[in-house]
Amino acid sequence: MNRTDLSPVPDYAPGPTTANLADILERVLDKGIVIAGDIKIDLLDIELLTIRLRLFISSVETARKAGIDWWETDPALSSRAARHEAESRKLRERIAQLEEQVGSSEDDAETPRKRRAVGEAQ
Amino acid sequence: MSIADLAPARKAAAATVTGIAGSDRGETLTCVFAVRGGGEALAASASASACAGYSDAAGAPYLLPLGESGSGLWAVAQDVPAARYAEQALRERLADHTELEAMARMHHEAVSSSAAVGPVVPLPLATLFTDRDRARETLSQQVTRFRAVLDRVRGREEWAVKVYANAAANAEAAAAAAANEGASGTAKATRTTGRVSGSAYLDRVRSRQRDRQARQDAALACAARVDDAIRALAVDAVRRRPHGPDITGRHRPQILNAAYLLDVDRTDEFNAAIASIKAGEAGEAERAPIEIEVSGPWVPYSFVESGGSA
Repeated sequence: MNRTDLSPVPDYAPGPTTANLADILERVLDKGIVIAGDIKIDLLDIELLTIRLRLFISSVETARKAGIDWWETDPALSSRAARHEAESRKLRERIAQLEEQVGSSEDDAETPRKRRAVGEAQ
Repeated sequence: MSIADLAPARKAAAATVTGIAGSDRGETLTCVFAVRGGGEALAASASASACAGYSDAAGAPYLLPLGESGSGLWAVAQDVPAARYAEQALRERLADHTELEAMARMHHEAVSSSAAVGPVVPLPLATLFTDRDRARETLSQQVTRFRAVLDRVRGREEWAVKVYANAAANAEAAAAAAANEGASGTAKATRTTGRVSGSAYLDRVRSRQRDRQARQDAALACAARVDDAIRALAVDAVRRRPHGPDITGRHRPQILNAAYLLDVDRTDEFNAAIASIKAGEAGEAERAPIEIEVSGPWVPYSFVESGGSA
């Protein structure tokens, strides 16, 4: 692509072309307005996450040790944490609910079996 | 460029957009890079949609009108092969480091070049729709939000500032301190017992730890000063998780990874502030405790989220 072709307003320069991958990734992966497309790919999906972890996780530990925790106040990151928190809370509730259901249906199931057992004995 | 010049171009653009329907629908998906504003004239100019887009797509990116006709909002989109962009294929490709990098760079390039002619709202990597109509329909529901974001970022750019603890300076300081301490510690130890005592050794270890902590605190304080100074010039700021040693190199810990939304006409002030901080930090000691790295201007990726949703 010829860059001169598309710069009628040269002042509004595009991002640095030599930008390093980490800079680009942290912008294109989860910044920008998220619109639910037809192809559902969660960019924080497991496979991708492994790559993200390679980029960032060690620094989280290092940073914690160094007393840097200010990204935790970054609403973009903390809202994600909050979302995950909410999701896992929902899941826990759902599991509890299902366990209850399973428990009560086991009770139901037991009763006829007992009855049958009683019937057979007679 | 006069309006007369644009007339044929506009017809051509309209033809591409309406001439979609297409034979190969089903084999392609529609990928959207960004949403931008601009009148018909701007949108019709050849440069408005001229960006490379994905290299594995048959056609070039184009502008897809959003909302009511004449709304002045356009999606910068491209039809991409379903074989490579459908869910499963995409999942596999994005898990591959090389493919991910290529896609991220192409996406970034498309977003950035769209911004050459005015403000844009960048959309995340791989925002995909089954076809142009679906893209148009879905995005058109967000017209108000896009407008709010465009207003927010118009005439503004994102600058990234990273601060690293200067490991070389720290190593020098550590060596100097060690030499110092070693000398005095040994002297003291020699004075009292004639040999290096256990308590002298512990003293030395403790004081080395104290020094390390002090240097770390100094570097963090410098980083905070940088952030404060630039924040004062900025419309908005975000701090990100610092990059890990895989990226920065083991001996160059990153202690600030921030992005600032700056009015374009404050760019000079920003550069001056950075220069003066660099000079100031360098003046404080033989070697500055920190290194500052600036990159930009970026399309304001980091500042579009709160624009309309708040």
